[in-house]
Amino acid sequence: MNKSFLISGSGGQGVLSIGTILANIFMLNNLNTTYCSSYGAEMRGGAVNCEINVSDREIFNFQNEKIDCVVALNQTSFDKFISKVKENGTIIVNSSLTKIKKTRQDIKYIFAPLTQEAIKLGNIKVTNSIALGILSKLTLNFPIEIVKKTYEKILKNKTELIQKNLEAYLLGFNYVQEG
Amino acid sequence: MNEKELLKGNIAIAKAALNCGCSCYFGYPITPQTEIGEYLSEEMQEKKLAFVCAESEIAAINMALGAATSGAKVMTTSSSCAVSLMQESLSYATSDELPIVLVNVMRAGPGQGYIYPSQGDYNQATIGGGNGDYKTIVLAPSTVQECIDMTYRVFYLSQKYKTPAILLLDGLLGQMAEPAIVGVNPYPEIDNSSWVLDGAKNRPSRKIHSLEPDQTKLNQHIFKLHQKFMQIEQNEIDYEEFMCDDAEYIITAFGSMARSAKTVCEFYRSHGVKFGVFRPKTLYPFPAKRLAELSQKVKLIIDIEMNLGQMLRDVRLAVLQNTQISFIGKPVGDWLKPNEIIKTIDNIIGEKYATSL
Repeated sequence: MNKSFLISGSGGQGVLSIGTILANIFMLNNLNTTYCSSYGAEMRGGAVNCEINVSDREIFNFQNEKIDCVVALNQTSFDKFISKVKENGTIIVNSSLTKIKKTRQDIKYIFAPLTQEAIKLGNIKVTNSIALGILSKLTLNFPIEIVKKTYEKILKNKTELIQKNLEAYLLGFNYVQEG
Repeated sequence: MNEKELLKGNIAIAKAALNCGCSCYFGYPITPQTEIGEYLSEEMQEKKLAFVCAESEIAAINMALGAATSGAKVMTTSSSCAVSLMQESLSYATSDELPIVLVNVMRAGPGQGYIYPSQGDYNQATIGGGNGDYKTIVLAPSTVQECIDMTYRVFYLSQKYKTPAILLLDGLLGQMAEPAIVGVNPYPEIDNSSWVLDGAKNRPSRKIHSLEPDQTKLNQHIFKLHQKFMQIEQNEIDYEEFMCDDAEYIITAFGSMARSAKTVCEFYRSHGVKFGVFRPKTLYPFPAKRLAELSQKVKLIIDIEMNLGQMLRDVRLAVLQNTQISFIGKPVGDWLKPNEIIKTIDNIIGEKYATSL
């Protein structure tokens, strides 16, 4: 098993947090993982992305040309990274901030209004967790206990925020139907 | 400490340094290694250890020299263009026989360059930019776990031989996170009571300096240092062999580049072509003897680096004269990807395995 993920968006959308959470989920699952982030000098608003790899073997390559599953939280990252998706790979797109357009026929698209859904949940900050839920359902289907444990580890004692994120995660998880 | 943590290379180094007793840190922020100082600034204050954000890199390393005379375990960290500023002091510290740990998380050069990752400081680290007959121990990690293990080792070696030692990694590894275990420092403490400047109570006074106007004494001193380097070359060489036993083609690479090399190696192995990877973990002392042995039975050695051929010189010096050597390299920025490397190797060896990619 060997999979690569790329989370992208703008600074402030929780791109790096969700990347870290994803890598921690893999680690707690006793898998090998690498996490590589890339961001500009800006704190908010600049382009941000991170690549996460997971494998049951030692990971040599932590920067791939093609990615199994890309998450694009805004238009810029959708435009920039659509070409990076592997053939038959998946791209999860935040349709709240993106024009729905399918330029490639060889990949699977999931357009979901992540920002709107997060606002509906009462906290725009959990946009990223909805995306993580979708990603989990479509790829490796992580055990919910491990997801919970990871949120608790990263968010420490912010009980309310952990709860909100799990709610968002589950919303994402149930957003897409199998197949 | 014994639990797996998701750590960036930089943080891993900082944690390991603290864990093996680094009590003085002097540094000046520079991308891509700033997290080391950032992490230590908080931790060292809490533990009441000495953390100084110096006014410049020149000041930082000279503070490290000063603190080292007292027997403290000292570290300074920086990156490429700023490590250039420290070369004079590395030469001084070697002659003064002071254990200094310098971490260089490489960025792109020459000159100011930019923050892109690179392996362009191999020469600077192994050959040195300071004056006089001296060498510097250089270790090169390739994973975050090795960042930890080698931080322990770099402290140990610098203390053991009373000489500066460098941990050399590329910005990519400094910034990349992997699960790793900080664990415990496996090396023994070195007794430094015979030389430290700790106040000459009940003992004759000592001095540490590199000025020596007496020609005979200066010669003796340099011979003594040289003896030490011979010992280091005898005892401290470390390397990794990946599928080298029956290899007909050997890729030589260090640091993060060795990881891409392993992917390439596995690709060719899956097509029945016997590739192997030879990775020096100590860049100085360079594992020349072992590479020479391996070179006897290979068709070709392919050296791959994120520079334009710096370790290549050591590879050439190591192997037998009739060994074929090719080089693949790129100076800075996006790492050479396995697919690019495979296409280039195909060209070199006149095969077309890349078509199956």
